[in-house]
Amino acid sequence: MLPLRVWLYSFRCYAMSMALIGQIVRHKLRVKVYRLNDDGKWDDQGTGHVTVDYLERSEELGLFVIDEEDNETLLLHRISSDDIYRKQEDTIISWRDPEYATELALSFQETTGCSYIWDHICTVQRSLHFNTLNTGYCQVSGTLGASGVSQGNCHMMSSPRYETFHGVNSELRELPAVELSTLPLLLKTVVESGITDQMRLTELILNDQEFFRKLIDLFRICEDLENVDGLHMIYKIVKGIILLNSPQIFEKIFGDELIMEIIGSLEYEPEVPHIQHHRNFLKEHIVFKEAIPIKDPLVLSKIHQTYRIGYLKDFVLARALDEATVANLNSIIHANNAVVVSLLKDDSTFIQELFARLRSPSISAGSKKNLVYFLHEFCSLSKSLQVVQQLRLFRDLMSEGIFEIITDALQSQDKKLVLTGTDILILFLNQDPNLLRSYVVRLEGVLLLGLLVKGMTTDFGEDMNCQFLEILRSLLDSYTLSGAQRDTIIEIFYEKHLGQLIDVITASCPLEAVAQSSGKSVGSGGGIGNQNGTKPEILSNICELLCFCVLHHPYRIKCNFLLNNVIDKVLLLTQRREKYLVVAAVRFVRTILLRHDEHLINHIVKNNLLKPIVDAFVGNGDRYNLLNSAVLELFEFIRKENLKALLKYMVDAFWDQLVKFESFPSVHSLKVKYEQSLENCGTKGTGNLSDPRKRIDERALEKEEEDYFNEDSDEEDTASASMPNTQKSQSQPVLSNGVSPSYPPLSPSSGGLVDYEDDEDDEDYRPPPRKQPETSDEDEGTIESLRLKRKSVSTDNKPEVSKKQRIGKNSKSKDSVFAALCSTLSQAVLPSKKTASTVQATACTVDKNQSSGEENHVENKPDTDSCGPDNSTTSDDNHEEKEPAASRICSDRLHSASDNRQLGGEDSPLIPPKSSPEMAVNGS
Amino acid sequence: MSDLDRQIEQLKKCEPLKESEVKALCLKAMEILVEESNVQRVDAPVTICGDIHGQFYDMKELFKVGGDCPKTNYLFLGDFVDRGFYSVETFLLLLALKVRYPDRITLIRGNHESRQITQVYGFYDECLRKYGSVNVWRYCTDIFDYLSLSALIENRIFSVHGGLSPAISTLDQIRTIDRKQEVPHDGAMCDLLWSDPEDIVDGWGLSPRGAGFLFGGSVVTSFNHSNNIDYICRAHQLVMEGYKWMFNNQIVTVWSAPNYCYRCGNVAAILELDENLNKQFRVFDAAPQETRGAPAKKPAPDYFL
Repeated sequence: MLPLRVWLYSFRCYAMSMALIGQIVRHKLRVKVYRLNDDGKWDDQGTGHVTVDYLERSEELGLFVIDEEDNETLLLHRISSDDIYRKQEDTIISWRDPEYATELALSFQETTGCSYIWDHICTVQRSLHFNTLNTGYCQVSGTLGASGVSQGNCHMMSSPRYETFHGVNSELRELPAVELSTLPLLLKTVVESGITDQMRLTELILNDQEFFRKLIDLFRICEDLENVDGLHMIYKIVKGIILLNSPQIFEKIFGDELIMEIIGSLEYEPEVPHIQHHRNFLKEHIVFKEAIPIKDPLVLSKIHQTYRIGYLKDFVLARALDEATVANLNSIIHANNAVVVSLLKDDSTFIQELFARLRSPSISAGSKKNLVYFLHEFCSLSKSLQVVQQLRLFRDLMSEGIFEIITDALQSQDKKLVLTGTDILILFLNQDPNLLRSYVVRLEGVLLLGLLVKGMTTDFGEDMNCQFLEILRSLLDSYTLSGAQRDTIIEIFYEKHLGQLIDVITASCPLEAVAQSSGKSVGSGGGIGNQNGTKPEILSNICELLCFCVLHHPYRIKCNFLLNNVIDKVLLLTQRREKYLVVAAVRFVRTILLRHDEHLINHIVKNNLLKPIVDAFVGNGDRYNLLNSAVLELFEFIRKENLKALLKYMVDAFWDQLVKFESFPSVHSLKVKYEQSLENCGTKGTGNLSDPRKRIDERALEKEEEDYFNEDSDEEDTASASMPNTQKSQSQPVLSNGVSPSYPPLSPSSGGLVDYEDDEDDEDYRPPPRKQPETSDEDEGTIESLRLKRKSVSTDNKPEVSKKQRIGKNSKSKDSVFAALCSTLSQAVLPSKKTASTVQATACTVDKNQSSGEENHVENKPDTDSCGPDNSTTSDDNHEEKEPAASRICSDRLHSASDNRQLGGEDSPLIPPKSSPEMAVNGS
Repeated sequence: MSDLDRQIEQLKKCEPLKESEVKALCLKAMEILVEESNVQRVDAPVTICGDIHGQFYDMKELFKVGGDCPKTNYLFLGDFVDRGFYSVETFLLLLALKVRYPDRITLIRGNHESRQITQVYGFYDECLRKYGSVNVWRYCTDIFDYLSLSALIENRIFSVHGGLSPAISTLDQIRTIDRKQEVPHDGAMCDLLWSDPEDIVDGWGLSPRGAGFLFGGSVVTSFNHSNNIDYICRAHQLVMEGYKWMFNNQIVTVWSAPNYCYRCGNVAAILELDENLNKQFRVFDAAPQETRGAPAKKPAPDYFL
């Protein structure tokens, strides 16, 4: 089941990318064939697809155009070695066709198709030329042809080199002698040879075993004599020879015997007034760091050669080399790296010594650091290996204990070392994420996950630290395979680390500051800055990770966000001075809404969570910036998706503020939609907007739920109880009217209590149906009595209650709310305290047990990370349909959990979807 | 000389910045770009430039022809990166100029300013090659998300990278796009960055690019009319002559990458508008061969392998 879904998902991704590529391929070789008629006009011969292929029973290549309608051959043309082809305007290739005795033209739909075919024609022509010249050159011309194609270099046709090629006569018979007196001739031969001559030249140089030795001897003599002219000529000759771009020549001149002298000869660049001292740099200044002594001479030789070729390519001749030569030099380096890494990895004593030293307690910090750097370079170069080999190497490194080493590095005070550790992790993730995953789920790996989370919240000064976000995302990615591991990681993350991240946000946006700035006009540029030195980019990364979580772990975030008031904490970011953090917070809420989750929406409504966003929007005034657009888009989304609960809440609570923005169509139509939905409600005569179908489902599930909540789960209980949720209630901001604006619900523990039918003003914008919980045994009576009692009270106070609720919530700590509730509602409630906490705990457990449901659910989503959130919008349109039963069970359980709840203890932060603590207080 | 000025000088020599400098630059740019609107207002005089595609030395030619920033005001229509060899230096120079002279240079987003596209067409690999990790790519692509989507010059000329969208009939509708996201595969934001005007199409047609639409003359006429603009200025398509008017001067394509991909043989153009919006196209060729070539970069003096 799971693999199939995963497969389907990856197929979708693949299909998406193929849709683009497919378009290109299909279109790029689509051509119209034209023929010049006697009147000098172009006749359209038809449309088809063009290919280059061998002519029947021949080794000659031709152009074929197959009619797209009837699959008939529209055109068959033998590619000629004559210069008859012309390319025009990037989409047309025309020629005078000897067989048809007229001009023909192919008009391409795509420029890429045109240049592709043009390249082919050039290549074929080139090999035809070489063949006619000298059959002995076939071999060589083949390789050159190939490199020409890989560059797709058409303008070679018109380049001077190619022109000389047409004046074929100057075929090179032999090389001039390599002597001081013949240097000018040699220079002329090397620099001024045409392309065929270059082939010949290469061959002659390779045939003469003594050529380079003689050239280098000459160089030494010139250097001794300080013969500058000679040195300049030798510079040009060597450069010219390198530009011949012959792998065989490279093999010779980059050998240990010659390479330093070759680089030495390049110190005398004629255009540069002073000598370059490359050899001196290579001999004196560079340090070959042997973290572990390497004994194999071949390995050592390759390592040095690689460095020197790189030096030549990137520094000495950086400006002189053409692409093809650079590509060839790169491939030498690549091949060298592969040899080095594979020889070292197969040297078991080497690897063992490496890890033994890394683990050695007596090793100095400095050499340990070097060893880690070495390890990084080693892993990094292993990219040159074949994928299978690299994977095997990484597995071996893992079993040698590389992750322990990294865990160690990540705890270092040295930030560069920490970041090197993360770089190694990223190399592993790019190769196979499951290696790191399988480590992190182990007992000893838990520490590493914690360090990564810590790293994400650590200030790395000017260094880049986006790696942590990247690694965590990869570990938490729910779209990837390997369900069990992934679930464990996600579980650990939510249990232990999400709270830490949220705490960083709350700590960087202290409520005192919030109170101060919200007294003034919020969001008008006067927000808080670096309160405790938390860098804004850290907050931005956290927010991004949270958005990622919302998309990847829909159920888990629901449970966690509701329990821990995560949304309102994240919304503290709207108080920040950095506008991009405000925007990030808006986007976070927008991402949540994308889930179309009734409970989360209710939670937002209940807790007045859009207030900070509306405040930020209003504070931003008429400025047309990203904040303005992001909030308007949010409004549009609410309206278009017809999120009625939000719509009503928005207009009821904020219209006074929003009315001055009514000129914005998005704001205006919000109101219109609101009024429409009111009318609709009126005709229906019921405010219940929930889906009746769903209601039935829920009923059917109740028994199962009940069983669930009767299970015990002490472990979970303590875990969630330890979540810090006290700080937020310390000082609530106070508005001018003396009522504090709503922030996190103060006493989540009081939740179950206030869940009554009499909250009429909520009624019509609360999507999920309220169930009459089939509460078991002794609790039932309690609930009923409470319900009656509360009903009368709050009905009396209804107008005031609803007003208060919109404006905000009281500022009493949850202790006081709790006390108030106790006194109002009599002792009868208290016995149920235990039940409530159990219920809360089970709500969490549900999640764990249902995670397979979550997977299924998630796998239907596009990878928003790579495809963009808009995509998920579209796919979310059918969210409700796709949501598998399991996931719904989860949400319903959560829902019913809250319904069932009684007055809970302090540690029971589950917020019921339709409760607000202050109502209870007001009602009392 | 401030750090930023020094960095600009360095970038003008085609020498990339250090990772730490890139990070600081991006954070500053983010604060500036977040304040810009989806239809960024631009005052005349201004010089409009089309695709650059990492052709750093050709962009230097552009500045030679058009004048240096900040003496000349610039509007770049996106596609700074990919295909050419110097996407890193090109984009960072433009971004540094943006941070240094926010009111003098406007950068809007092209379809290549995208994570997905840059992974295929070169910018990703270039970052990896030049920095040894893709951190710089991550920072830059994060910045791409903040780039504005279009510009409006003196309320008369609408500028956008690709073209129009069937979802957008008034400029006001662009306002409600939350642009801080990867370029989507469809929808208004995608179309603005991907669409092309097309002679044969009347109304809207499917784009062979697989994203965006083809739009015909009637679409442009009604868009220009209902938004009360003179013409649309866009980039996105190679034109051999550097610029090309279509539909009776209602839309113009400006292309600023000469000898595109170092082999197309085209000339490039920029469009100069004076304070009265008088137009002058300046056509220029690719930088001569001897001025290009990678700057010499000494490798780190120590190595393990």
